[in-house]
Order: sequence, then structure tokens, then C-alpha cells
Amino acid sequence: MIPLALLRFLRRTPWSTAMALVGMALGVASIVSVHLVSASISSRLDGLVPSSLADFSYYLHRENLHTHDYFELRRRWRSGALPTLERLSPVVDETAQIADLSVRVLGIDLLSQLPSGDIPTASGAFAFNGVWVDKSLKDTLSLPINGIIEAPEGTLLSDISVAHDLLDWPDHQLSYIGLVIGQAFAHSLEVAENLLPGFGAGLPIAKPNLDIGPGWQLVNTAEQYPARAFGKSVLFNIAALGMLALLVAWLLIYQVAVSWLRRLWPVFDRLHGLGVEWPHLRNYFLGSIGVIASIAAGLGLILGWWLATKLLTMSVPGNAVALDLSGWVVIKAFGSALAVCLVGGAWAFRRSQRGQPQTLAPLLATLVLLVCGLICVIQPETGLAGGFFAIAVLSLAAGQTIGPLLLRLKRWSSNIGGSYLMRVGVREALWHPAELSVALAGLSLSIATAIGVGLMVDSFRLDFSQMLDHRLKYDVIAEGNPASLEAVIKAPGSVAQASRIQHYRSADIRVDGALVELNVTHMDAFESSRYAHDKRLGDSEVLLSEQAARTLGVLPQETLRILGETMTVAGTFSAFGDLKPRLIVDDQSAIAEAMGAELKMASVAFESNSPKALARALKASSSTLEIRLQSDIRRIALNVFDQTFAITTVLITIALLVAAISVYIAVTTLRLNRQTGRQLLNTLGVNRVEQHLMNLAMGIGLGAVAMIVALPLGVMFGWILCNVINPRAFGWTIELQVSASALLWPCAWGMLAAILAGMLQVGDAEEGAFGGR
Amino acid sequence: MTHHSALTVHQISKHYQDGNRQIEVIRDLSFNVAAGKSISVTGPSGSGKSTLLNALAGLVELDDGDITLEIQDKIFSYRAANERARTAFRRQHIGYVYQFFNLVPTLTVLENVRLPARLNRRPDLEAFASTLLSDFGLSDRLHDFPEKLSGGEQQRVAVARAVLLRPPLLLADEPTGNLDSENSAQIADLLFSSCRDQNIMLVLATHSHEIAAMADTRLHLDARPSASLAPA
Repeated sequence: MIPLALLRFLRRTPWSTAMALVGMALGVASIVSVHLVSASISSRLDGLVPSSLADFSYYLHRENLHTHDYFELRRRWRSGALPTLERLSPVVDETAQIADLSVRVLGIDLLSQLPSGDIPTASGAFAFNGVWVDKSLKDTLSLPINGIIEAPEGTLLSDISVAHDLLDWPDHQLSYIGLVIGQAFAHSLEVAENLLPGFGAGLPIAKPNLDIGPGWQLVNTAEQYPARAFGKSVLFNIAALGMLALLVAWLLIYQVAVSWLRRLWPVFDRLHGLGVEWPHLRNYFLGSIGVIASIAAGLGLILGWWLATKLLTMSVPGNAVALDLSGWVVIKAFGSALAVCLVGGAWAFRRSQRGQPQTLAPLLATLVLLVCGLICVIQPETGLAGGFFAIAVLSLAAGQTIGPLLLRLKRWSSNIGGSYLMRVGVREALWHPAELSVALAGLSLSIATAIGVGLMVDSFRLDFSQMLDHRLKYDVIAEGNPASLEAVIKAPGSVAQASRIQHYRSADIRVDGALVELNVTHMDAFESSRYAHDKRLGDSEVLLSEQAARTLGVLPQETLRILGETMTVAGTFSAFGDLKPRLIVDDQSAIAEAMGAELKMASVAFESNSPKALARALKASSSTLEIRLQSDIRRIALNVFDQTFAITTVLITIALLVAAISVYIAVTTLRLNRQTGRQLLNTLGVNRVEQHLMNLAMGIGLGAVAMIVALPLGVMFGWILCNVINPRAFGWTIELQVSASALLWPCAWGMLAAILAGMLQVGDAEEGAFGGR
Repeated sequence: MTHHSALTVHQISKHYQDGNRQIEVIRDLSFNVAAGKSISVTGPSGSGKSTLLNALAGLVELDDGDITLEIQDKIFSYRAANERARTAFRRQHIGYVYQFFNLVPTLTVLENVRLPARLNRRPDLEAFASTLLSDFGLSDRLHDFPEKLSGGEQQRVAVARAVLLRPPLLLADEPTGNLDSENSAQIADLLFSSCRDQNIMLVLATHSHEIAAMADTRLHLDARPSASLAPA
């Protein structure tokens, strides 16, 4: 009888049932899409490291690394002196010119490990002196190829001895030693990474305690592969934003469960009065909401997959995107929908049955978490995860303030003036914390995130634009292969049309074990001013990118040993978008002389009175060079900048949409349970237009409450993103600019969402669970 | 203000549809009420008392017959008016008191009583709202919200609101059904005396024979749609 009654209830309230289904499906879709986007990016970033080196978590460097050093270390490991070390392996890693191609040659000990994931070649023969290559080199090398490996373009893998031959190195020379170091909670972290792709990049990296003696430099994966680390940091930012979408989706799913319960409660109350036990009623309630959650999870999976495909196509236009629904994402989708519904629903049922517990425990827990969040903001050692933990704690605290805020506003609401119907509408928004606080928390959180990210993006764009103003002092830039660049600076056409020619050489070097890019050019006052340095750079001076200064732990006027030379740090400069830390020295410095031919021409900049004519002349003289006008570079740079944040915008929009649906579901339930109030106003002669105006006032009231919480929270988010997250993730600092547009647009969208949720009346005419007289 | 008004109910019928089943609630019902007079409607549950009052308020459409309300020589026909016109008419000329949920919970006592004045743009009646509440013994509850009032107090506020505009017609649907005998008597007294003093026609549905007997005329509705009219 009771299931029949519930089924009839679902049938008689089709719109509400559909809204619950759609709301939950959208929540699950946002969870799935964010997961798939993050997993896809993570997989692409992992491809930046050859699979044979993927297991190494640390790398040991030293000057003139000799095989003796490796065997000495190995002896100590065998004797048990390095207990945390699980495996170590010698590696040769250097770039060589093979068949006119620049090839990264990786030599590993094939006796201890064969490359994994190989695809046998057509011949099927295995040659010990053969090589494994990525697919770009498959048909271009004359060497015997054993297989194709997953690796960045232009990578060749071989046994160490073969690599020595290819590089023409002595047999004892090594590049570094790869280490596999045992990690506590490794399995749990792997599960967490599978559930939240990108999660691992945010964790602080602790130096392992290894007694390896003097002269060694221990480098972690992030320092060894800065491009991958940069990408992982971007991914973590997306993943963290995805966690917000997850949180808002959970709030929505919980809101649906609570709304469902509130609609059914009068029926349950009377059934209990007739002698049906509470556990029975609870099970029926959880059963009905569980069915809806399961269907919604299935729909959400499909919708989320479609959305993720669209998002990735948008972020990498032109590339085919194929996404698989892994077991992890299915677990996450169904787990989120069912767990939140069932656990949240059971908790809500218990609260409805026994009343609101009066306890200080949540408040105390929030205070403790806030203190922890503050510590995370102050202490850079807590890493990227610390910054986002602070944001999560602030979100939690803000969510908890909604209920008490509504209670205070309810007490204050007798002071509201204006038309009586407007008073009724606004008070409706303030008087029902039990029904509305969860949905309003979701809305506030979405608006606050939009504000925070908007402030960060606006501030970042301003700084980025200023950086471009500094850097783009030249009219034409040429990039391409070194030989063509060498030729172009001497070409009569360029010399005749250019008033100034500046050429840049570069090489990758290691400083204190960290891989950095060294730029060498003539650093006169004009050139130095491009890097915010107001005078000529001295021969023993160096300019560091912010990222380099953080990586190397030096400040201006401190000294730094580079390639055996002591250099003074003359200043630091912004280098947004740089993948690697960067150093700049003058072409007359000892370092430039020491590097000699290892420095390759990277680009040439020209000043000219007729830049377009010069660009045409340069293009005519060399078809292999990329010739760009200053205005083109600015446009491309700003386009890339905007594209970078496109996914962010979509994720925030999804969160806002989900939050708006959550508010709508809460408001609809509220109305259905309070139909008699509306009937009374109808009796008093309140017409439809006036009822719409009341709903408008209610929507404005809801939006205003969300704003009260979202505005300060959003500014705090913005500050943390600019001053905590960005320095920790990318090594650069952004000065927070509180722009009106970043504050107003999210508020406007949030207000619109609340007004629509308040005014949309479709489905309101349905019968409630219990008709009023 | 003295009303020259009269209510005429002429052969009205109303039925509800429940799937394929047609439930006839009122059939060929007719009666008249003159200005300042009262009529009580009695009958068992389901006999159509609330439907009749809702029809008199213009909240439900009639199947047959018509209700007319004559006010100052102008006649308003319910049949001829659409929903919008009936709503506007109800706002100006009809007071209504229910058994439950009489007050807007998010308006204070004073705001609830002033609401009809505000809806009809009659600022001249706002001071009268305070006077009425004072006369009804609620001067110390003006700024309280309804949730803080007892059932009897809430009904007194509802009566005050219903008579504020001095409407020609006041409808009361079991206004004492939720109250103890002492409060019931108080509310009934308030209703009848207010209507008499202000020349308001009162149509009151009740299960109480004592309260029904206070009306000038009694209308009894049977479970099956047939009615008998008798002087009280």
C-alpha cells in the first residue's frame, strides 16, 4: 500500500519529479564532465615523461656524474644505508643531432628494465643494440628499431651503451640517477588521484631523508620536468574548481533529497500516526529517492561525457577528442548521486523526526578548520593544496553562516518597508532557513567563486597586458631554426630596414640541480628596461624570472653560482606563461663566453619605421622562419590567455546553473507546502500580476542573501588565488585589482538566477502531498 | 458609510469532475440577503458549504445560475465577469474569514489588517486599522507576527481585516471551528455585531447550532444537493 501511495505521488507530481531528476542529472553531469576533462589533461601531461622514466619520483645530479658514483651509491643501498630507497637506475639523457634531427637520447639499463607498453615492429626482431622511438621518429631513423614507445615527440630510448655511442660520450659518463622512493599512503594517494585527477599536483613535495653524502643534488619530478609540473599546476587549478562544482552538485543532490522529504513528510507523519514505524517510512523514502538518484546518475553520465567532449574540443580546437568512461568516473557519478541522496536523506529524515539538534559541535569544528585554513595561507610549505584547503574551509564556513544569517534577517524583517506585497515576497525569502539554506549556500558559493576567479583573471590580465607592454617594444620578431636566424641578422634587406636588431641565444642549464633556461643577449639600458630593470645589466649580474627566483630561493642583490661563476641577482621580472624558470645575462658575461657554441640562436627582434615592409622582406628571405608583428603577438597572446580561462568560465557557469536549479527546487517545494498562504492572498484579491511581483521580490530577496555572503567570500577567494595559489602553483605574483566588472557580473548573473528561480512557476500548480483547506 | 446593497443567489449549480465521475455539489440554489442582514449556512461535511462561500467570493466558476451583488444601485453579475474582474471585485467588496490560515504569516498583525487598505489604495483607512485592533483587544500585539498569537487572537485579527473596508459582503467559513467555546462566542459576537453596526451582509458557514441561530436567516444544505431556507 505504501509503495503504491508513493508511486501515485510521483505520478501526480510529474513536474517536480522531473525537476528532481533533471537537477540531480545536471549535478552528476557537472561531476562527470569535470572529471573527464581533468583525466584527459592529466593523461596528456603524463605523456610528457617517457614511460620508462615514469616510475622515478626523484633524480640525483652531480657535476661530471661517473658510473663509479652510481655503483658507490648502489653499494650503500645494498648495505641498507638508504632504507627509503626502493630502486635506483643510471640514466643518460641528452639531446643529439641524428639524421639532421634534434633527438632526445635516453639511455637506461636494459638489463634491469625493458621499456613497457611497446608495440613490436613489423620485423618482430629484438636487437640489443636497437632503439625504441616515439612515433614521430618511426620512419626517419636508419637505426634498428625494437618498438614504438609513448613519449614526447623526438624521443629515442636505448640501452646506456647504445646511448653513449649515439652521443659520442665516454662509457663512464651519466646524466643522472633515477630514484624510486617509497611513499607513505601511496595506495590511498593513487585512489585519490583516480577519483580526483590532478589532485596529487597540489600536495606539498617533501624532500626525502636520504643520507647520500656531499656533492649530490636531489631533484624532484616537478623540477626535473618543469613543463609537466606547470601543466599539472594548471590541472590542479581546474581540478580544484571541479571540486567546487562537485560540492555544489552535492549540495543540489542533498537539496533534492531534503525537498523530496519535505513534500512527503505530512504523509509520513499521518502514516506514523496510524502505526507505521519510522524505520519503515525512512526505507520507503530512501527507496524512492534512490530510484530517482540512480536514473539521474545514468543520465548525468551521458550528459557529462557529452559536455566534457565539447569542453575539450573548445580548449584544443582541431584535435579529435575521444573520452572513455572509466570505472572511476562511473563510481564517482553513481557514488555521488546515491551516497549524497541516501546519507543526506537519512540524516534529513532523522532531523525531521527528532528535531534540529542544538549542538555547538559544527561551530567548533568550523572554527578549528578556519584556524587550519589560516595556517595553510601563511605557510607556503603547505603548497597548492594548502591554498585550496583554505578556500574549501572558507566555503564551508560561509555555507554555515546562511542559516544563522537567515534567522537574524527574519528577526530584522519587520523593519522592511515598501509595499506590503513586496514585504511578503522578501520575507518569504528570509523566513525559511530549513528549506532554503542549503540551496542558498550553493548559490552563494557559485557566485563567490565566479567573483574570486573573475578578480584573479582581471588582475592577471592587467598584469599580463602590462608585461606585454614592456616586452613588446620591438616591431617585428623572427623565430625558427638557429641557422636561418643567424643568416637573417646579416641579410642586407633586414639591416637596411631595421633601426635596431636584437638577437637572443638560449640553452637549458642546471643551477643548484634545477633545470632553467638561460637567455643571453646584449643587455643595454633599452633591453634591460624590457625586464623592469632600469639600467644596463653588468657582466657579473643576472636577471631572474619570478619563477626562477622562487625555485632557486634567491632575492635581488643576493648572489648565485651559475656554471661556476658567481653572479649577483640584479632583479626579477614577470614571465607569465613561461614553462621553465629563466635567467638572463649579458652577452659579454663570463657565462656567455663559457657556454660558447652551446648557446643556440632562439629569436631575433627588429625595430623599424616600416615594420610591415620589414616583415614582408624577412618572410621573402626565409620561408622557414616565423615572422610576427608586435600587434599580432599581442593579439595571439591575449587570445591564448582568454582561451586558457574558457574552461574555467564554463565550469563556473555549470556550478551557477546547478545552484540556480537547486534554489528553484527549494522554492517550488516551499510554495507547494505553503499553498494556503497563496490561496489566502488570492481570496483577498491579489491578482496574478501582483503575485508575479511578489515572486520577483522573493527572488530579489534570495539573491540579496546570496550576495551578502558571496561578495566578501568572493573577494577573499580572489585574494587567495592571486597571493597564495598563483605564487605556489606557477611562481608568479599577481597584484589583486578589485574591479567593478569582476564583482558586478557574477552578482548580476546570481541575482538573475535567483529571480528566475523565484519567479518560475511551472509546476507550482501541482498538488502538494497534502491539500490545505 | 451606509450600504444600499443586496445579494441575490439565483438557481446556481456547481459540480466537480473526478475522472469520469461527476460530483454535484450545489443544484438550483437560490436565496437573497439584504444589507446588514446575516444568513447562516449549515449542513453535514461535504454538503457544499465551503463551495457556496467560494462561489459567493467569486473564487469558483458557476455551472448554472448567477450571483449578483447590488452596491449603490450598481449590479455586479458573477456570471458575466471573468476571473480578473471577479478578483478585482472581491478585493474591493468582499471580506472573508476562514477557519484556518487566515493571516499572511510574513506580515505583522497591523500589516495584515492594513493589507486590504493598501491593496485598494485607501490610506484613509490605515488609522482605522489600529482603532479596530484596539477595539478588538489587540492593541499590544500590533507589531507581532501571527505565529506569536493564539488561535482566538488570530481570528480576531482576521475579523478586523475582513471588516476594515466595510465591505457590503462578509463571508465566514466556519470561523469558530478551531476555537474553544469561550473564544467561539467572542468571535461570533464580533462578527455579528461588526456586520450589524456597519450594515454588512454576513454569510456564515458553521456546524454550531448556537452560532447559526444568531443569524437572521438559516440555510441548511443536505448531503445531497437540496436546500431548505428558514428564518432563524
